[in-house]
Amino acid sequence: METHTNSVQVMGIDAGGTMTDTFFVRADGRFVVGKAQSNPADESLAIYNSSVDALAHWSRGVDDVYPELVTCVYSGTAMLNRILMRKGLRVGLICNRGFEQIHSMGRALQSYLGYALEDRIHLNTHRYDEPLVPVSRTRGVTERTDVQGKVVIPLREDEVRQATRELLEEGAQAIVICLLQSHKNETSEQQARDIAKAELAKLGVEIPVFASVDYYPSRKESHRMNTTILEAYGAEPSRQTLKLVNDRFKKHGAKFDLRVMATHGGTISWKAKELARTIVSGPIGGVIGSKLLGEALGDENIACSDIGGTSFDVALITKGSFAIKSDPDMARLVLSLPLVAMDSVGAGAGSFVRLDPYSKSIKLGPDSAGYRVGTCWPDSGLDTVTVSDCHVVLGYLNPDNFLGGAIKLDVERARQHIKAQIADPLGLSVEDAAAGVIELLDLTLSEYLRANISAKGYNPAEFTCFSYGGAGPVHTYGYTEGVGFKDVVVPAWAAGFSAFGCACADFEYRYDKSVDLGVAQFASDDQKAAACKTLQEAWAELALKVIDEFVINGFKPEDVMLIPGYKMQYMGQLNDLEIVSPVTSAQTAADWDQIVEAFENTYGRVYASSARSPELGFSITGAILRGTVATQKPVLPEDPDAGPTPPAEAKLGARPFYRHKKWVDATLWKMEALKAGNHIVGPSIIESDATTFVVPDGFETTIDKHRLFHLKEVK
Amino acid sequence: MSYTKEQIANLVDGKLDWETTFRMLSMPKDQGRFAKYLAALQARVNYADKIVLPLSLHMNIVQRAGDKRWVIKCDCGHEFCDHNENWKLHAAIYVRDTEEAMTDVYPKLMAPDTQWQVYREYYCPKCGTMHDVEAPTPWYPVIHDFEPDIEAFYRDWVNLPVPERA
Repeated sequence: METHTNSVQVMGIDAGGTMTDTFFVRADGRFVVGKAQSNPADESLAIYNSSVDALAHWSRGVDDVYPELVTCVYSGTAMLNRILMRKGLRVGLICNRGFEQIHSMGRALQSYLGYALEDRIHLNTHRYDEPLVPVSRTRGVTERTDVQGKVVIPLREDEVRQATRELLEEGAQAIVICLLQSHKNETSEQQARDIAKAELAKLGVEIPVFASVDYYPSRKESHRMNTTILEAYGAEPSRQTLKLVNDRFKKHGAKFDLRVMATHGGTISWKAKELARTIVSGPIGGVIGSKLLGEALGDENIACSDIGGTSFDVALITKGSFAIKSDPDMARLVLSLPLVAMDSVGAGAGSFVRLDPYSKSIKLGPDSAGYRVGTCWPDSGLDTVTVSDCHVVLGYLNPDNFLGGAIKLDVERARQHIKAQIADPLGLSVEDAAAGVIELLDLTLSEYLRANISAKGYNPAEFTCFSYGGAGPVHTYGYTEGVGFKDVVVPAWAAGFSAFGCACADFEYRYDKSVDLGVAQFASDDQKAAACKTLQEAWAELALKVIDEFVINGFKPEDVMLIPGYKMQYMGQLNDLEIVSPVTSAQTAADWDQIVEAFENTYGRVYASSARSPELGFSITGAILRGTVATQKPVLPEDPDAGPTPPAEAKLGARPFYRHKKWVDATLWKMEALKAGNHIVGPSIIESDATTFVVPDGFETTIDKHRLFHLKEVK
Repeated sequence: MSYTKEQIANLVDGKLDWETTFRMLSMPKDQGRFAKYLAALQARVNYADKIVLPLSLHMNIVQRAGDKRWVIKCDCGHEFCDHNENWKLHAAIYVRDTEEAMTDVYPKLMAPDTQWQVYREYYCPKCGTMHDVEAPTPWYPVIHDFEPDIEAFYRDWVNLPVPERA
């Protein structure tokens, strides 16, 4: 049995911009985290190196472990980078005549997406990116479908043939077709798609044709067009990247089929038809991981907080589920993809610190040093102070053990920079200046976190805060202090938490379709049944797509569990809510009543019962269908309680630590050597290779059987 | 934070990379920018008079070399007037106040009705550079758009000695 319990089952990958993290879990819940420098030219190599690094902790090798793995999930930024660097296919676009410029003009908000507030309100900084498809590779065809979905000008078929030929001459490697209102009536667009395909066949050319209805049949024309273009532009090249990754796994004996984290919070196969939704995945992993941990701990309300080098990301899990945003923006494009809702502020451990020359106030970010850490790293080439510099000077970080000692930090160099840039101009000591920076960051983050919870109508006392990310545990005490969370949890594997979360995600496809249903509060049974029929038709259409995807991966349709859902709102209101359907199929007036009841319950919970407005009637704006199959998930470690006293070998010594205007000696602990049940009182610093957990005076922490640290304020 | 003379020269020429431009726009103004900016502008004109303040892309208030009077000058060297006068009254003016003149610059039916709005274009009488365009109602007086308090700007804003003035 020994070999069985020690077999490595699950692997998670988070291929970030600077570091590639891997996370391996054994059948007994033991895990290791590996890190390696990312390699944008060949991600598979970085993953391999990171795996080697991780498995070395168990004295095992890649060739030995890959064949044991049951499941592996990848998340990364390859797709995103391809879009940002504009290195995709040469796409040709067919749209309605007269609308050829729409994609280039884009939505006005795309000119400031991703900006900090100061820049957003500063018009001069607004800028339009180069379009994914230039006007020279765009052709308009005569056609018009009105907002009700009625074809008022039929498609001129010859124009489609002409457009197809012209786009080929322009060197198009893929053709996207996106016509107005096609989400309401797909006829014209499908007709154009078939004609374009026939024309290509006649010319003996094999390039893919993407019609928006086949991919993202959702309202909002710019969103739908952008998303379909994104699919054509970036998905195929990304698939090549994933194939390289998969091939390397196979070469080392892997038997699993690689899955990719997608924006909706599930994982999909690298062979999936729709890969555009893998554009952002890393940060989502943390939310999925939090959900799984929450289930294990019995916490259904969780504030997920991820602090990395450049940003602070917050997501809320309420009643065990996370929110989905259906028209998010990514890579400065508005898109129609389901995305796990997350809010970010551009302040992290690597943020630059500057003094405003006029007001003499400290400003953090919005830019950051990224992998270059700060001026404390002599090789960084930086001369602007970062938050990390302040940490090093105040004793939060161990200058000899940053990233497990991979780089050595120079405390004196950081001191000199802080003195010259911050402390002297403010007339403060270096310590007080650095502590001021940390306090400002902590305050910014905790206000952000608090606002995020209360703005949505919740009370922090009902939430457990999970803190992770490479820099998370350094700041946890700072941004949770005084917020009043029920519990604050820091996983021992905080640095690899996103990779862990990816491994926790379901194998799940999700398809969405816009529908427009309006039913009055006291509608007749016939009206209710008619609405059910429309919804059911949309679900049936989506079910075909979902099952198709699983069939590609060799599953049988009957293995797939289908979960229908819908987006509903009170008629005339602007925001819809996403609801998991209480009925598996919608047929009768009674089904409709259940659908409405589920919506009203959610509405009452999210807003307030008294805000419910059934007298307005109900609209369904979208049909959703999710399909999953069973997968192996990471098992949490279960350690026996070793009592409150940490073992002697866990104690590493002490380090001077500055907070609240005085130096104290903080006890240093080795995170890996601490046992379940151990109780540690601040001032203490718990170190591991990849992360540092700071427990200042006034705080205490206990490690539980799952190797989760619970941080408490001591009153 | 400060930028090199070369970066400022590129900024003036519109050749600065976007990342640097964006940082410049977002961050508080760097130390010594105005002096570098003036130097870059000065290097782009052929006259010997010292630039005091740029007024528009091809027009500056300068300290006249001979007598240190502050005057408004085109890049070509043409002198419009004294620095506190409205230079537009000394420019060559073309008014588009007919439909025909408007269709020179806009497609038919996509231009303003000239009963309501006219375009007044101001050119350098010597080199023909267009320095400004106004879009007022037909009867509106010539706009004097910029009357800078140069002394206050030098003294209180950029901390530089005010150039001598005759």
